[in-house]
Amino acid sequence: MNVVELENVKKHYMLGQTRVDALRGVSLSIAQGEFLAIAGPSGSGKSTMLNMFGCIDIPSEGTVRIDGTETERMSDKELTRYRRTKISFIFQSFNLIPVLNVYENIEFPLLLQKAIGKTERHQRVMKAIEEVGLLDRMKNKSAELSGGQRQRVAIARALVTKPLVVLADEPTANLDSATGKRIVELMRQINETDKTTFIFSTHDAHIMKEAKRVVHIMDGMIADQGDETEG
Amino acid sequence: MLTFKLAFRTLMKRKGRMALIGILVAFGTFLIVFGGIFASSAAQASRAAIIGNFTGDFIVYSAKSKELPSPFAFNTPLPKIGDAEKVAAALDTFPEIEAYAFYAQNYGIVQVERNGKKLDLPFIFYAVEPKPYQAVFSNVKVEDGSFFGNGLASGQSNGKTEGIKKGILISRYQNEQYLKNYGVTLKVGEAVTLLGVTEGGVNTARSTLLGLFEPLHFKSVFDYINFVDSETYSSLYNFTGVEALPTAFNERLAAASADESSLFALAGDAAFGKLDLGSLKSQALSGFTMVAVKLKDHSKADTVMAKLAKRSDLGVKTARWDVASGFYAQIASALQAFIFLATGLVFLVVTMIFMNTLIINVVERTAEIGTMRAIGADKSFVRGVFLAETLILNVSASLAAMAITAVPLALAGGKGFPLPETVSQFLIGGGPLALKLEVGPFLVAIGIVVLVSILATIYPVSVATSITPLKAMSDR
Repeated sequence: MNVVELENVKKHYMLGQTRVDALRGVSLSIAQGEFLAIAGPSGSGKSTMLNMFGCIDIPSEGTVRIDGTETERMSDKELTRYRRTKISFIFQSFNLIPVLNVYENIEFPLLLQKAIGKTERHQRVMKAIEEVGLLDRMKNKSAELSGGQRQRVAIARALVTKPLVVLADEPTANLDSATGKRIVELMRQINETDKTTFIFSTHDAHIMKEAKRVVHIMDGMIADQGDETEG
Repeated sequence: MLTFKLAFRTLMKRKGRMALIGILVAFGTFLIVFGGIFASSAAQASRAAIIGNFTGDFIVYSAKSKELPSPFAFNTPLPKIGDAEKVAAALDTFPEIEAYAFYAQNYGIVQVERNGKKLDLPFIFYAVEPKPYQAVFSNVKVEDGSFFGNGLASGQSNGKTEGIKKGILISRYQNEQYLKNYGVTLKVGEAVTLLGVTEGGVNTARSTLLGLFEPLHFKSVFDYINFVDSETYSSLYNFTGVEALPTAFNERLAAASADESSLFALAGDAAFGKLDLGSLKSQALSGFTMVAVKLKDHSKADTVMAKLAKRSDLGVKTARWDVASGFYAQIASALQAFIFLATGLVFLVVTMIFMNTLIINVVERTAEIGTMRAIGADKSFVRGVFLAETLILNVSASLAAMAITAVPLALAGGKGFPLPETVSQFLIGGGPLALKLEVGPFLVAIGIVVLVSILATIYPVSVATSITPLKAMSDR
């Protein structure tokens, strides 16, 4: 079953007087449980593609389907609700909320989902913290953590809502290679155990090696859809 | 809860910057609370002082007058009240009225003799019926002598003249001015001659200085106002006469007036000559121009005035205390307006500075807001966080300012707030201003702070909510 589908998606925007064609007719299907890397040089369109998957940008043309639902006609409120329940993000710069500690940062997306009770919320947060190995850092603020620890918090925050898909925008770009490697291994491990779909943009060779499928993108077009393989 | 947690911690993180806003809000709150209490207390004290010293709750004056009545207008006297007794009888029917006093203001000359030489001293005065006047007003303290003879026992409501001595009272300041300008000081008990200018010429009346007084309030006014009893005043200005002559006398006089010889024949008529002229009652023809009316309940002024307005047969109209006192009543209002203006300006500045600070905060937190939006926070959540930040800061600063303002006010109690004497004299008739703690200014302050908080966040929040989740992705 495909969790994400792009069908002839084009995206252009104006940069001053110049029209920039970020995506020029991209079609791609991603099945549940994939551990997929989108690779390409800077400005190739990989972040724009990720934004389409994440419902934080809408295509100029074409169709985006998340979990079978077309997103381009959704209102801001509907897209927000969709992101809240079905999609999670891991950012290159971690993007933790600085005034919250580790526990609270991970709890944050659950608090936005008002339907989840206090007990379940606590259990889920604790499980996520345990999974990323930060039980001893629960009360620390992000400023008191290393880069690798911050990204672990971001991963836990992404996983705690049990999303359909986790989108990671160059998750290792701000980490040293050893830490980046451990972060990728962690994501891979979670993908294996929970069957959570991971899509990440990268030009990190190690991530590409770990990915089950690597989609290469060049000048706003897919150069290679990649075959699903064991990384 | 999440909103407030985020808001509170963000404030703590930026406490240096936000402290400035807090101080400004606290200052604005202080202005509203202290200024409001001050202005309200001043307005109440001013009203009480004017009612108790100049006008009563309202003034009744002649319907013929084209001018508003003013207790200070000595050079443009009002028309006389036509039938004072009828007006008095009408006022007696109102249960709301505690007391009333007929009076008039005028000026004349006090003539004294020193070393065989006559000295003319200027004399501005209120002509009063002493007892009713003191039942309405309490504005003088007699330092030497008495207020028209100390026969002022209370409870003599049916007598306006028992125990009253005729004469004049002058202020101590006036006596000092006589010494300064004319080299003469009047002494209590001293005989004087009063000179009054009328249409027919200059009238004189023998009188006595009954007392020297010190004004209790509004020294700047009462230092110059002296007193004369109403009977002396009436005789001095030709306001006395007799009631109608007996009917028989009038009939005989009318019958005889047909020809000159009949008229002269009356002189030899023994029966006509038996008319007892000594039995004729003297009658005050009313030189009074105003009646100050004091009510049991000040709030009933408009009601009683409206009822009086229906009595067109009385030939009078009314002016409430604030209209009659003119400039004096406006001082408190002007003070109130000034405080409101100052407060308004402070809050305008607070709003602008706060708005700017919030915009800086929004710009600094673009990635954070974008992240929240990407994770699933909708615009209302972002709006709520900013509004909560503003309210926590402003309301707590405001509450702190209220406590800091209220505690000394409560402790000071009725001791009063010292004012410069000149200000105090004009505003409340003198002395410290008793500040009365009221809930109103506190509620107004919190209302304004909440309103300013909301206004100050409108634009920054619109900037914040326009931040898309894309910003979180693009923030590197």
